[in-house]
Amino acid sequence: MNLIILLAIAFGGALITYFLGKISQKIRDIFAVFISLALAVIAACFYNVSSREIYYTGFLDFPFVLRVNTFSWFFAVTIAVIGLFSIIFSLNYIRKRGNTDFYYSMMLLVIASMIGIVLSGDLVSFYIFWEIMSWSTFLLISYNRGPAISAGMKYIIMSVTGSVVMLVGIVSLYLHYDTLVYTELSGLLNNASSGYILFIIILFFIAFGVKNAIWPLHVWLPPAHSEAPSPFSSVLSGILIKIGTYGIILLIFVIIQINVFLNLGEGILSVRYIISIIGVITILIPTFIALLQDDAKRLLAWSTIAQAGYIILGIAYGTSESVAGGMFHFFNHAIFKSLLFMVVGAVEYRTNGVRDLNSLGGLIKKMPVTFIGGLIGICGLIGVPLTNGFVSKWLIYKTLILNNSPFLAFAALLGTWGTILYSYKLIHNMFLGQLPEKYEKIKKAPFSMQLPIVILSLAIIFFGIIPGLPLHVINSIESGFGMEPLTINIWGIASDTGTINMLNIFTAVLVIGIMVWLIFKVSKKSTVIGQYDNYAAGTTVPKDKYNYSVNFYDPLCRMISPYLKDFIDDFYMSLARSIKNTGNGIRRIYTGDVGHYVIYIILFLALLIFIQINWELW
Amino acid sequence: MVNPVLLIVIPLGLAFVVPFFGFISKKIEKFIPFVALFFNLIVSLRLFPRVLEQPVHVSIGGFVPPFGINLVAGPIGILFTVLIALVGFLVSIYAFDYIKEKDQEKYHILYLLLLTGATGVVLTGDIFNLFVFFEILCISSYSLVAYFGDKTSIESAVKYLIQGALGSCLILMGIGLLYGQFGTLNMADLAGNIKSVHSVSIFVPLVLFITGFGVEAAIFPLNAWLPDAHSSAPSSISAVLSGIAIEVGLYAMIRVVFTLFGASSILTFLMLLGVITLLIGELCAFCQENIKRMLAYSSIGQIGLMLFALSIASSYGITGGLFQLVSHTLGKSLLFLAAGYMIYRSGSMNISSFEGMGKRMPYTALAFTIGAFSIVGLPPFIGFPGKLMIVKAALFEQEMLYTVLIFFILLATVIEGAYYFRVVQALYFKEEKNTQNQKREIAPLSILIPIFILTGFIVVIGIYPKLITDVLVSSASELLNRADYIKSVMP
Amino acid sequence: MVMNTILEIIIIILLAAIIGLFFLGLSRKIMARIHWRYGPPIAQPVIDIIKLFNQTSMSHGKLFNFGIIFSLSGSVVVLLFLPLGEMCPLSSSGGLLVILYCMLIAPLGLALSGGEAANPITSIGISRKFLLAFGYELPLLLILLTVMTHFNTISIVDIVNMQLQTGWSFQHLPLLLSGIAYILILPAILDLRPFELIQAPQEISSGPMIEYGGKFLALATIQHAFNVFISLSLFTNLFLGGAENPGYFFLKMLIVFIILLFVNAVTPRFRIEQAIKFLWRWPALLAFAGLIIVSVTG
Repeated sequence: MNLIILLAIAFGGALITYFLGKISQKIRDIFAVFISLALAVIAACFYNVSSREIYYTGFLDFPFVLRVNTFSWFFAVTIAVIGLFSIIFSLNYIRKRGNTDFYYSMMLLVIASMIGIVLSGDLVSFYIFWEIMSWSTFLLISYNRGPAISAGMKYIIMSVTGSVVMLVGIVSLYLHYDTLVYTELSGLLNNASSGYILFIIILFFIAFGVKNAIWPLHVWLPPAHSEAPSPFSSVLSGILIKIGTYGIILLIFVIIQINVFLNLGEGILSVRYIISIIGVITILIPTFIALLQDDAKRLLAWSTIAQAGYIILGIAYGTSESVAGGMFHFFNHAIFKSLLFMVVGAVEYRTNGVRDLNSLGGLIKKMPVTFIGGLIGICGLIGVPLTNGFVSKWLIYKTLILNNSPFLAFAALLGTWGTILYSYKLIHNMFLGQLPEKYEKIKKAPFSMQLPIVILSLAIIFFGIIPGLPLHVINSIESGFGMEPLTINIWGIASDTGTINMLNIFTAVLVIGIMVWLIFKVSKKSTVIGQYDNYAAGTTVPKDKYNYSVNFYDPLCRMISPYLKDFIDDFYMSLARSIKNTGNGIRRIYTGDVGHYVIYIILFLALLIFIQINWELW
Repeated sequence: MVNPVLLIVIPLGLAFVVPFFGFISKKIEKFIPFVALFFNLIVSLRLFPRVLEQPVHVSIGGFVPPFGINLVAGPIGILFTVLIALVGFLVSIYAFDYIKEKDQEKYHILYLLLLTGATGVVLTGDIFNLFVFFEILCISSYSLVAYFGDKTSIESAVKYLIQGALGSCLILMGIGLLYGQFGTLNMADLAGNIKSVHSVSIFVPLVLFITGFGVEAAIFPLNAWLPDAHSSAPSSISAVLSGIAIEVGLYAMIRVVFTLFGASSILTFLMLLGVITLLIGELCAFCQENIKRMLAYSSIGQIGLMLFALSIASSYGITGGLFQLVSHTLGKSLLFLAAGYMIYRSGSMNISSFEGMGKRMPYTALAFTIGAFSIVGLPPFIGFPGKLMIVKAALFEQEMLYTVLIFFILLATVIEGAYYFRVVQALYFKEEKNTQNQKREIAPLSILIPIFILTGFIVVIGIYPKLITDVLVSSASELLNRADYIKSVMP
Repeated sequence: MVMNTILEIIIIILLAAIIGLFFLGLSRKIMARIHWRYGPPIAQPVIDIIKLFNQTSMSHGKLFNFGIIFSLSGSVVVLLFLPLGEMCPLSSSGGLLVILYCMLIAPLGLALSGGEAANPITSIGISRKFLLAFGYELPLLLILLTVMTHFNTISIVDIVNMQLQTGWSFQHLPLLLSGIAYILILPAILDLRPFELIQAPQEISSGPMIEYGGKFLALATIQHAFNVFISLSLFTNLFLGGAENPGYFFLKMLIVFIILLFVNAVTPRFRIEQAIKFLWRWPALLAFAGLIIVSVTG
């Protein structure tokens, strides 16, 4: 199988989908699912393949290279699979909306360009796919209209800013080393001055940081994630922002190489440390802000930023365990965050667009499968043992503690405890507590929504018990980067400095759980009663009036909210306003009076001659 | 053997016979520009391969230079000729249905004259001849701006006329000064004699030329006519003005600076001027609510960018600048054409009147979107290679100044993105308030064909820039190798 | 080998249950004596549990049942990671970080179970539980990190073994600060006054457990007993040097518990904001100071 064919299917599929939609909606739906399934299958076929091909030379003098190795395979498969599930989820979600042809083809285009990014083997084609991804994402974010328009605007402005800065970096690399193909570029920076490497790192980091929503470049993410259509939010949060992670890994481990990176700067001022600290800030502030949110999707959006912080922390810290943790967390986050967005999307779909956590409740009785998906999703997000999120976070904490960076570890751990609070609030306010009467008639989510939810939930548990599978892949990626691989086995990690064995934990939980269940079972049966049949000190619980899920963490929120103004966002907005004001000021130059214009011309001429006569500049 | 003279003679001749055709039938008049420019397109494309091997020289009336007027069809000349013919040809198709009111006859005559003038400017090798063609271009554009004949268009045409006339005066003075000193008007001959621009007697003509051509090229602070003129002209003319006229002004300026004077010392100044023009243009465009004024200011910005790139005066820089020029010509013409028809349908130039156009006029809106993305420099459209080449050229110099300037330029690109994306969102993602007009109204074929062809070029060259880079590289060497130019004209 | 492990597991669970329930009974007795009452017999919790299992009960649905089972099994799993004397059946499967995370399961299970009950008071209780946990986890994390950094290991068995060689953690200055901080937060972990906010019988009628009766209440009581055991055992292992034999270990736990009971007897209850403010101030500061010293002297 050929890489070009994969890309051709991806991009061609996106185009054809649009025109098929003009013929029949049904055929288009089937075709879109088929294309994304094909992408996932073909991408998976490249496992353990390592190949490289020049596929196009017509672009200025840059050869376009496609390459696949374990590193890009890992990302490509994740992208394709999450993309497939989002497309399946969209089938019902988007059916009654307008412009569905546009939606599907853009969705496929985003996925195609992401696959293009991870498969490209040189920086120019990387950049081209990157930009295609940026603008197609912009169009999709704006799809919901209303507030989505300003969200899309914010996104594209930040994204374009990032990518033009990256362009400078790419061109600078080209001019220094005369090539942009990774394989030729890697190692060349060994001899570069550290100032130059720093320059390159900063340029690329701005671009990748915007996409990855690293604090303080995160401000586009909360509105974009919450206003986009929910299946696309899963793509955005699950994989799209991780393309930034991919870029960072590419930069640090392929282009610059790890040994050079680790030696940049000394001690607390070293580059790895500074980026780690940025990662930690990215964990902490958004976690607390997430606590204050009442909009389910906005809560998840802030949570996404925070989780991206773990990934950055892991990768930037640069030990082989932390990098493995970071990459594994990328994988896990793709699974559980897209799952959670789907769960919220399913609820939103059934309640006609309600995402306000204060007005939902009790839906567990109506949408049990969705609830289980949500429960497993938050368990993964928190990192409860036996879910995949646990192992990745464990790796990061462990290496931070053992390498004497307890403060970084503390911040990361504290972030997890914040995560517990907001993610429980999410699940409690949507599914638990009283079911309001207006939702009495809600049906369970349709099959096309339940299927991805169930599969992704199972994946969370599966990779939580068998972390060895992804870790094996990550291990071979790391040895490709020239790092020491971890000592893993299929059930966990077995090193001298700390081991985990998920099988033992799983067995223990299972056996003990069964024993407790048996005790529960043999003791007297209990009768099932309804939600209003509650203890209320002799009175009855009033219907629909008494939903404590409103302002769930009010005491804490009152304490912390004064400190959590998003001043970064304010800063950007005032920057935008001042640019606009400057523009309005400058516009005054063009007064509309032709007399002034003539004077400009004469003055310009006179000034030039005056300068020359006096100083002979030219 | 195709003679480059035909490129000027045929449209010029046809322009004057338009009224005669008018006697036969008013209906054929509009096909005359179409025929003339189609001819030009074919001829210039036929010339293309030959010119790339060696520049074609034609001496009018058999007088060899420096005694007679000569035409020099070098790579850069032929590049412009093809562009002018192509855009002119497409716009003439667009005009079939677009120009329906007022005096069509005059429109077609002036339109042909405008393009003849432009072709003449880029092909001639004689400075006075250049001035004459330049005047033809300018005067016909003054009158075309006033085509609608209402108060605003007359006012902007007069403003344009005043500033343009002043510019022309300055050029003429410059020519006079040079003629007085060297006794020749042939550019190659002059170039051979000018050694340095340090003496005031040489410097003054240079500055006069820069200012004079700068008015037409819309360099800050000489560009005040442009937003008015471009926004009140008919959209087909705005497309030509923005896509061709100002580029020809820029060509004249660059030709004078590079070939005639070889004034490398002033290039840094021009470069700064370019960046200032870019920033001011983009900032002003950012605040516009009127779509055509926005596009016009954006043209100012783009001209600034080209001037910057050309003033780097390296092979990379000129190639990049010319690439940007081509991309701007195609992109901006497309934008004006697409916007023009949407304005025609909505009856207002306000951006908010475009809301919901994505549904009403899907193809036009799509073309506008692609044009906008291309101007902003997003791949896979033609704007991206241009941006890439300019960044490359600037960084290649490895000087702090260039690196700082490139950041300013990129900042300007972001601002540019901001206002273009706003329009794109208005097209697709804002519902029209007036729900009665929700039905689809696909534009007539004569409107769609030029739009589609331009879109096609934008995508194809964006994916395969090699299509034009060869000619750009040889154009760059023509501009840079002054001695070769002189030698080839006067062996 | 396997038989040995299974035997150890059974012994640990039984011991923990006995000790935990004994502590619960003891606490009622001691409180009563301080109040000048006679008090129930020490075995009262056991009697209650047996009685509760024989009572009929109400359930609010599947999650209501599942939550309590999940919670109890979570607590039991934590037991298996904690060294009790020389016994530590799952020591090779994970260290302190796993314990930290497994300790999440129990409150999460109770919260889910209470959530389905749809009683507003359970919601209040759950909200308080999470907030209070957030309050004490901040110092607790600092404390655990101090210990782990000091001994440069994440295995609790190693920590205990090193204390056998170098003496109790309490004897080293930075860890002394952390130890004091731990004692300050222990009442919050054990839901004792002044942090008795979650059950708060006089205010929200035992909070998350309000809907429990019969076997649910019995299981919840057992879970609480395990929780008492776990918290004290963790403290003893980390700061009081663990012990070679369970008897000695038990003694250490008992002393700490009785101190806590005295505090419990004489203090009123904080409001939740006050509790968080307190926890984020004094224990956190002490623990933070400890961590700074450890990481500087490193």
